[in-house]
Amino acid sequence: MRKELKIGIGAVVTVLVAAALYIFYTFDPETQPLFPKCPFLLATGYECPGCGSQRAVHSLLHFNIGTALKYNAFMVLAIPYIFLGIYLQYFGGKKRFPSVEKILFGRWAALALLAFILVFWIARNV
Amino acid sequence: MNRYFYIDAEGKQKGTFSPEELRQEGIKRDTLVWTQGMEQWKRAEETEELNFLFSDAYRKPLASEDQPPVRYDRPGESTETQQIQPMPRTWLVESILVTILPFMLCSSILSLLGIIGIVYAAQVESFYNRGDYAASLESSRSAAKWTKIAMWIAIGWIALIIIAIILFAVFIGSISGLAGMEDLLNT
Repeated sequence: MRKELKIGIGAVVTVLVAAALYIFYTFDPETQPLFPKCPFLLATGYECPGCGSQRAVHSLLHFNIGTALKYNAFMVLAIPYIFLGIYLQYFGGKKRFPSVEKILFGRWAALALLAFILVFWIARNV
Repeated sequence: MNRYFYIDAEGKQKGTFSPEELRQEGIKRDTLVWTQGMEQWKRAEETEELNFLFSDAYRKPLASEDQPPVRYDRPGESTETQQIQPMPRTWLVESILVTILPFMLCSSILSLLGIIGIVYAAQVESFYNRGDYAASLESSRSAAKWTKIAMWIAIGWIALIIIAIILFAVFIGSISGLAGMEDLLNT
């Protein structure tokens, strides 16, 4: 990939993430109508594995970790995992910690993750 | 227009040529070509920009199209290492990310695409370990395809949300004035 393109993409992503964080900090998804609603929840009445993650992010930005965990524990735990993945893939972490990548983002990790999502999905609806 | 390298009948890498020059070089459908930005060598007919060379208008009688394609390393890498090729990119990290992230954006259906990506991505390593490089490469491409589809839909979805938020803000702003808007923000 060309260097200018990389920088451009990086800049756009940074601006979007900053804007999103600002929106999630300022507005409370609990009370504001402008946040997207889960189509699965609307259709079935059951929560999907991601329901509550926007409220959780809002709580996290206000350092209410307990509330965030209550809204969606899985997503709160997934956030560091997501950042780790991005670091490993795009910021050279792969070369520095190949074993970490192999364990946490290997085939079995992917499988375990899918199984975990499924269990979480069922568990939160019973 | 991109400039391409290609592999001639003797297995030598030649380049660079524009698509028109490639035609004059007499490349065939299964000639392997590579240009900047491509992950792997590809058959000329699979390359979008070179497709037209093989349309009827351009077709020239070609003698030997039945030779099996041979895969080579990228230019700059030694062609001696054909047997120990590096593992194709697995796309595991990306496919995992496009599986988790849609849940946060309330578009859980997208995760299904990510899961397809994960399945292919997991195959890349198993095929590679078994020594089946071609199958591994094929899985890598499929994984890349599904991951990218999921990624672009997600990007479109984010754009939609942003537009919706802007429209909403404008709507509220227009019916209640700026003061009313501030009240709304402060609740």
